Amino acid sequence: MLARLRDDLQLYRLFVLSRLRAQLQYRGSFLMMTVITFFGLLAEFLAVLILFNRFGELAGWEVGEVAFLYGIASVSFGLAEMFGAGFDVFPEMIRRGEFDRVLLRPRSAFFQILSADFQLRRIGRISQGSLALGLAFAWASPEWSPAKMLYLPAMLACGMVIYISFFVLGATLCFWTVESVEVINVITHGGTEFASYPLPIYHLLMQRFFTFVVPLAFVSYFPSLYLLDRPEAADWPLALLVLSPFAAAAFIALVARVAWSVGVRHYRSTGN
Amino acid sequence: MIEVEDLRKTFHVSRRRSGFGGALRGLVSREGREVQAVDGISFSVAAGEMVGYVGPNGAGKSTTIKMLTGILVPSSGKVSVAGLVPWERRRELAGKIGAVFGQRTQLWWDLPLIESLTLLQHVYDVPAARFNENLRYFREVLELDDFLDTPVRQLSLGQRMRGDLVAALLHDPPILYLDEPTIGLDVIARARIREVLHDINRERGVTVLLTTHDMADITRLCRRMMIIDRGKLLYDGSVEAIRERFGAERTLVVDLDESEAVDGQLCVPGTTDVRRDGPRHWLRFRRDQITAAQVIPALTARYRIRDLTLEEPEIEGIVRRIYEEGMGSRG
Repeated sequence: MLARLRDDLQLYRLFVLSRLRAQLQYRGSFLMMTVITFFGLLAEFLAVLILFNRFGELAGWEVGEVAFLYGIASVSFGLAEMFGAGFDVFPEMIRRGEFDRVLLRPRSAFFQILSADFQLRRIGRISQGSLALGLAFAWASPEWSPAKMLYLPAMLACGMVIYISFFVLGATLCFWTVESVEVINVITHGGTEFASYPLPIYHLLMQRFFTFVVPLAFVSYFPSLYLLDRPEAADWPLALLVLSPFAAAAFIALVARVAWSVGVRHYRSTGN
Repeated sequence: MIEVEDLRKTFHVSRRRSGFGGALRGLVSREGREVQAVDGISFSVAAGEMVGYVGPNGAGKSTTIKMLTGILVPSSGKVSVAGLVPWERRRELAGKIGAVFGQRTQLWWDLPLIESLTLLQHVYDVPAARFNENLRYFREVLELDDFLDTPVRQLSLGQRMRGDLVAALLHDPPILYLDEPTIGLDVIARARIREVLHDINRERGVTVLLTTHDMADITRLCRRMMIIDRGKLLYDGSVEAIRERFGAERTLVVDLDESEAVDGQLCVPGTTDVRRDGPRHWLRFRRDQITAAQVIPALTARYRIRDLTLEEPEIEGIVRRIYEEGMGSRG
């Protein structure tokens, strides 16, 4: 079981490396796409800043703190897009009948799909998110400890896992209907927008929804309470606050994995 | 090598609705109808055989293949491929089969061919020595050297097909499924692919199941063929018997010159005028009684001709005639 997982990961690495090599051969187009993505998203970030110029603060959060939320959400989503986007393009794969080919190989379908659309140019979003994080450090100047320095990358990884899980859930839906994929796109692509603002600005129902149903609040909001020493952090026991994003990521990943297996089983009994 | 017993697959085809709401309702509703894609098929293929598996579009060919590879789970029936039940041991079986789908490549579109092959070496865990030996063999028989370093998207269809053939055979599978391996190829590329398939079957003892629309693929490569239509096996027996029965008949399509006024049928010895549409006539004759080389001069001596086409029997035509005339006993 573990040996199989290791083999699958190794194969994933090989797939990604060879795509990487292919993409670096077209350096010009890669650079252009990266720059375009970067500036496109920068405009989005600037819009947030302009908003702040008017209001000064948002639900008690200052501009640097919101930039921090924005940065975490953006980098997490960028990582998810880079490493798990195969599931994002899965509707196309299934429409073209390419999933059969995946099932014809003596390897896990899951990892084959995961590596199917590795795009280096997605680094555009990651670098833009990192820029936002950098500005956030400068403006909000949070107090740093070694624990926090370890916690930040862990949170980015959790965020990535949560987003990839939603890619997987969206892909799973394709086994039943290709048309309703938009529903999931609202959650994944729209979700970065959501996670870029402090939770309390939303209606209570929405807060609950994004905490307990679609746990996007764990991508940026809850980790930031701890990392930025926000006063809201006092509402929760510290251990719960710090550990909950791991639990949320593990939970949604498990749900996605099980749903995916059910979907594959459905596909194999009904065909396409 | 392949044993199939009373294999069935029923699909539920749901009614499609338009719009977003319709799509959502489609998720829960069970409205629709049942389709018997494969309806009680039994056959067995021995190791080293090369069998043609043909039928019109939608006859159930690819559904059968999908069940033999373990992609699809059948509604009922027994299957054993290389001693394994495909849908229970999909991953294990995958290492023992190779597949070429003429219409879709398994190669990575933006990678050079050699890189795709190297990736597949890892996918199938082929030992380096074995990989190199196989690669050397195929480089020679398929003449890959000219395009081994070319990205797959820049390959011609014939080159890509050769690449796909190597990709399917690198891990020495004892079983090979071919689905339209010559589709879209020109005459020369087609002949070359056939030659290679023949060699692979002969020299490497690979068991081959060949699905194609091209009757010539079958007659050049297979001794045995199975014809499927509407989910049922219509025929399982020698290609020769089919050829004798239906393949010997050829049709010459004749376009008369406008100045030629023929009322009724064309009269050419050894042929029958079976159909007429304006200046166009269809003359049927038997290959074993008279050659096209004899018919054409006799024809031009009597009539002024604008154009001629020689039609070979096609699989759709054969299936139609089996329905019309019956096949008698199977095999």
